[in-house]
Amino acid sequence: MNNIKGLIKKDLYNLSSYKMTVLVLVAFIALFGSFSEDSIQFIPIAISAAIGMIMLSTFNYDESSKSEHYILSLPTNKREVIKSKYILIILGNIIGSIIGVIITILAAYIVAFIKKSGIPQIDYGLIFTYALGGFFGVSLIEAIQIPSIYKWGAEKGRIQMFILIFILVMLIMGIVYIAGNITFNIDLAFLENLFGKYGVLLEVLMICLMYFISYKVSNKIYKNKE
Amino acid sequence: MENNIILKKVSKEYKDFKLNDISFNVPKGSVVGLIGENGVGKTTTIKAILNIISSQGTIIVLGKDNKKYEQEIKQEIGVVLDDSFLSDYIDIKKIDSIMKDFYKNWDSKKYFNYIKKFKLPKDKMINDFSTGMKMKLKIITAISHNPKILILDEPTSGLDPVVRNEILDIFREFIAEDEERSILMSTHITSDLEHISDYIVFIDNGHIIFNLPTEELLENYGIVKCKKEEFEKIKKEDYIKYKKEKYQYEILVNDRFKFKKIYPINTIDRASIEDIMLFYIKGENK
Repeated sequence: MNNIKGLIKKDLYNLSSYKMTVLVLVAFIALFGSFSEDSIQFIPIAISAAIGMIMLSTFNYDESSKSEHYILSLPTNKREVIKSKYILIILGNIIGSIIGVIITILAAYIVAFIKKSGIPQIDYGLIFTYALGGFFGVSLIEAIQIPSIYKWGAEKGRIQMFILIFILVMLIMGIVYIAGNITFNIDLAFLENLFGKYGVLLEVLMICLMYFISYKVSNKIYKNKE
Repeated sequence: MENNIILKKVSKEYKDFKLNDISFNVPKGSVVGLIGENGVGKTTTIKAILNIISSQGTIIVLGKDNKKYEQEIKQEIGVVLDDSFLSDYIDIKKIDSIMKDFYKNWDSKKYFNYIKKFKLPKDKMINDFSTGMKMKLKIITAISHNPKILILDEPTSGLDPVVRNEILDIFREFIAEDEERSILMSTHITSDLEHISDYIVFIDNGHIIFNLPTEELLENYGIVKCKKEEFEKIKKEDYIKYKKEKYQYEILVNDRFKFKKIYPINTIDRASIEDIMLFYIKGENK
C-alpha cells in the first residue's frame, strides 16, 4: 500500500504546478456559468470535466520525464502503477464533482445577492443530477482514454482524446436528433419511472463497470508493454 | 566467492535485436563493468535484471529469483538509469517524501547529508538542474536506502571529468563502506572502469565477447606494432585481432609477455580497455 501512496504522491507533486491553473479555471467557469440561472447548472459538469482532464495530464509528466522505467526499477510493479493511476483519477473526479456542486451553490447565492432577489431557489436534485452526469461523461472519456495512453503513449493519446470527444458529441447529437424526429413505440412512463427510481444507482453502476473494464484492459496492455 | 547477481543464459528477442544467452556473475564486494557500443544489449541486460522487461533464462539476485521476489529484491537495489528518473517537475524535498514510501530503509538524514555535501539546491525543480547535478541527485537517491547492490546505466555519460571523478568517488565510498555490496555499471566511457572496476564484461551484438578481471586485461593484454613482413610471420592463434594502419600493423594480443618470448618484436604497448574494445569491434582476423 505504501508503494501506491508513493506513486500517488509523485503524481500529486507533479500536478501541484497546476494549482494556479485550477483556481483560475474554476473561477472562470464559475463566472461564466453565473451569467444566467440556466447556465449555472452546467458549472458542475464543466468543473469535473476540467479537473478530470488535469488528472490525465499525469501521464504527460511521466512521458516527458521518461520516468516509466525508473518507476519500475523501484520496489513496485506494473499492477501497482496502474492501480495508483486509477485511484488518483477516480478520487480526482469525485473531488472535482464535489467542488463543482459547491461552486454551483455559491454561484447561485452570489447571483441572487447581485440581483437582490433574496434567497435563491436551488434545485439540489438537479445540481446533483448534473454533477453525476458530468462525472459519468468524464469517467467514460477516461475509461477509454487510459488504456489507449498505455497502448500508444500520452502524446498520441491526446489526439485520440479529441477524436473521442468529437465522436461522443456527434453520437449524442445524433441520438437527440433521432429522438426528436422519430416516433418510438416505447413506454416512456416506464422508462421515466425506472430512471426516476434507479437512475443514480444505474449511473454509479455504469461508472464502476466502465472503470473496471478499463482497469482490466490497461493491466493487460501494460503487462505486455516493454 | 559468493555472488550478488547471477545471470544464466539470459535471452531477449526484439524484432531487430537479440540478447543471446548472456551469463555472468556480480560477486560480492566487486564492481563489474558492462561495456560495449550503444545498442548492443547493455541496457537490455540491466532491464532484464530489474524485471522491467521480460526475458528468458535465470536471473538470481541476492540468492532469489528476480521475478518471484521482485519487490523484496528491489528493496536492496539502488538504480541509476541514464535517461529516466522520477520527474523533472519536483524538487529534492519531494523526492525524499516519495522515496520514504517506497523503501523501508530510506535514510532521510543520509540523503540530505549528501545533498549538502554536493551542494544541490533544495528548492529548485530538477528541470533547472545541470546534467551533472541531475546525475549526482540520481546517485544520491539510489544509495540513500543503503542498498546491497547498485545498478548503474551510463552514470557518467555527458559529464565533465571533474564531475565524473566526484561520481566515481561516491561509488568507491559505497563499496568501501560494506564489503558485501556490489556495483554493476554499464558504460561506454571505459576509462572510468579502469579506475574502479574489478571485472569487465564486454558485450557485442547481444553476445558476451569476454568476461575477465580488469587487472588481467590491463596487465596482460597488449598492442603489438610491427611491419608487414613481421606480421605475416605471426601465427593466427597468437593474437586476437589486427588493424592495418598506414605504415604498420597493429595487433591485439591477450598475453603480451608470452608474445614477446615467441616473437622478436620490441614495440608492445599496454592496451587500455578502450583499445581492446575497439580491436574486437573494428579489428580483423587473418
